[in-house]
Amino acid sequence: MNLVRSELLKIRSTNTWWVFGLISLPLWVLTLLFNWLQTDAMSGLESGDVPADQAAQFEALQQADSLAANIYTNGQFFGLLIVMLLGIIVVTSEFFHQTVTTTFLTVPHRTAVMTAKLIAAAILAMVFWLVTTALNLVFGPLVLNASDVPLQLDSGGVWRAIGLNALAYLLWSVLGVGIGVLIRSQIGATVTGILLYLGGSIGAVAVLSILASRYGDWINNLQLVVPSLASSLMVSGTEIPGSPPQWAGAAVLIGYAVVAGVIGTLTIRRRDIS
Amino acid sequence: MSDGQRSPTSNGQIVVSGLTKQYKSVRAVDNLSFTVAPGRVTGFLGPNGAGKTTTLRMLLNLVTPSGGSATIGGHRYADLTDPLRHVGAVLEASSAHKGRTGINHLRVICAAAGLPKQRAEEALALVGLTPAAKRKFKGYSLGMKQRLGIAAAMLGDPRVLILDEPANGLDPEGIRWMRGFLKGLAHEGRTVLVSSHLLSEMQLLADDVVIIAAGKLVRQGPVDQVLGSMAQSGRVRVRTPQAEELVAVLREQSATVETDEHGVLLVSGADASTIGRAALAAKVELHELTPERPDLERVFLELTAGKAGIR
Repeated sequence: MNLVRSELLKIRSTNTWWVFGLISLPLWVLTLLFNWLQTDAMSGLESGDVPADQAAQFEALQQADSLAANIYTNGQFFGLLIVMLLGIIVVTSEFFHQTVTTTFLTVPHRTAVMTAKLIAAAILAMVFWLVTTALNLVFGPLVLNASDVPLQLDSGGVWRAIGLNALAYLLWSVLGVGIGVLIRSQIGATVTGILLYLGGSIGAVAVLSILASRYGDWINNLQLVVPSLASSLMVSGTEIPGSPPQWAGAAVLIGYAVVAGVIGTLTIRRRDIS
Repeated sequence: MSDGQRSPTSNGQIVVSGLTKQYKSVRAVDNLSFTVAPGRVTGFLGPNGAGKTTTLRMLLNLVTPSGGSATIGGHRYADLTDPLRHVGAVLEASSAHKGRTGINHLRVICAAAGLPKQRAEEALALVGLTPAAKRKFKGYSLGMKQRLGIAAAMLGDPRVLILDEPANGLDPEGIRWMRGFLKGLAHEGRTVLVSSHLLSEMQLLADDVVIIAAGKLVRQGPVDQVLGSMAQSGRVRVRTPQAEELVAVLREQSATVETDEHGVLLVSGADASTIGRAALAAKVELHELTPERPDLERVFLELTAGKAGIR
């Protein structure tokens, strides 16, 4: 507990957290505007307007639950990126500023230090999730009203989406810590993390759809292996026909987070600090 | 509090035994053994690359030894329950987050070590940094950074202090402060191990020295003893306007006399009192009669000669 307090104090006593908070805010506004346009467009469309082979998916997305869940988890796209970067920085800043020596002198039990870092990063992620969710619950209804979509605040599906959103924030922060241990260089880890997150979704989608067109649709199920795709699958408001189930996305992402955390901890236990 | 602190074996003695660190192609530390006694300042000397820092880092569980052991008060560092209450270490001056204030740097450590928060203020006051408490680390001078490092090491009021090149970058005032501070700590019965390559400073500061080169022990012992063991000790500088007469007298007493480029006589084989008495008897006027103190630098260079630092 002392260790977690120390880790949180490390975060609080530097600029990093509020700089990231300040960056998140305009990004949240940006995604809210985007989602507003999307909600407005989707709610206005008839299923006859889309090609027949996409109709089933479209209908799933068009449900009020799905539209509302999308709004209440607004800001997620950049939010997950931000908490992952914070997770990375929790570790790499120790190497960047050479404070890791002091940290391990104070507490030679490195597993305990890593656990504290994981917990601290997770707490930080929860704070980011809490603030964005609060903002979403305040501003989301305005967007939904404007698009004539019911608020759906009594829907289990919506609250499940909000809960899974929390899980996503948590898991990405843990992934960040793992990346930070494996790539000690602050810049190297940050770039890798961003590529994994952004490039991972865009690049993997492109590659998978090319492969799927050659070898058959089953390839599409491989999107589960890509962390960012697994994550977006997990937090999609409803089950989408033709995609793997939501729980599979969650399982994959949890798997990645656990592997990152464990490999990170084992690595740091053995490493010479010089 | 741990059992270790109370047990009789925990007297603050540092014991390094057969310590070895093999990197890919370099044996940085090679079967090194020495002990460091409490109540004294021990200088840990060696050319650059001799393995000083690696040794200290193995002692502190930051680097895993390839062989051998290093204990503090009979315990491995990793086995200490409250390490900061036993051992304080200053390893690199620049080890704090640039954007964190000095006081917050110490509070972070206090929190992790379970020490009361006010220890941070007390430690800052101890090293005279209180006025800069709320300044960010990036605004600190090198001397202030060293002081902050020492404050961090003193948070747990440890019995044992380990410092790696603490005098680096300090101005003369800072060096004098450090010397007084460390001597004071040793005087209180604490163990103080200081690595350095500033030999003149070590001669003023250290009671004992451990000299290593190329990862191996070269010499260990009290400073006087190490100095006295060397060949050029025991010479006496003599200046006189009647050099020829004095040389003749001294040679009769089977002393060896050399003359340096300034005409100063360097006498070996006779101590200062013998020379003085001989000069008086021969009615030779003396302007200087100084037993030459061997200095650590010369001894060090002689001991480590040919053991290049770059391997």
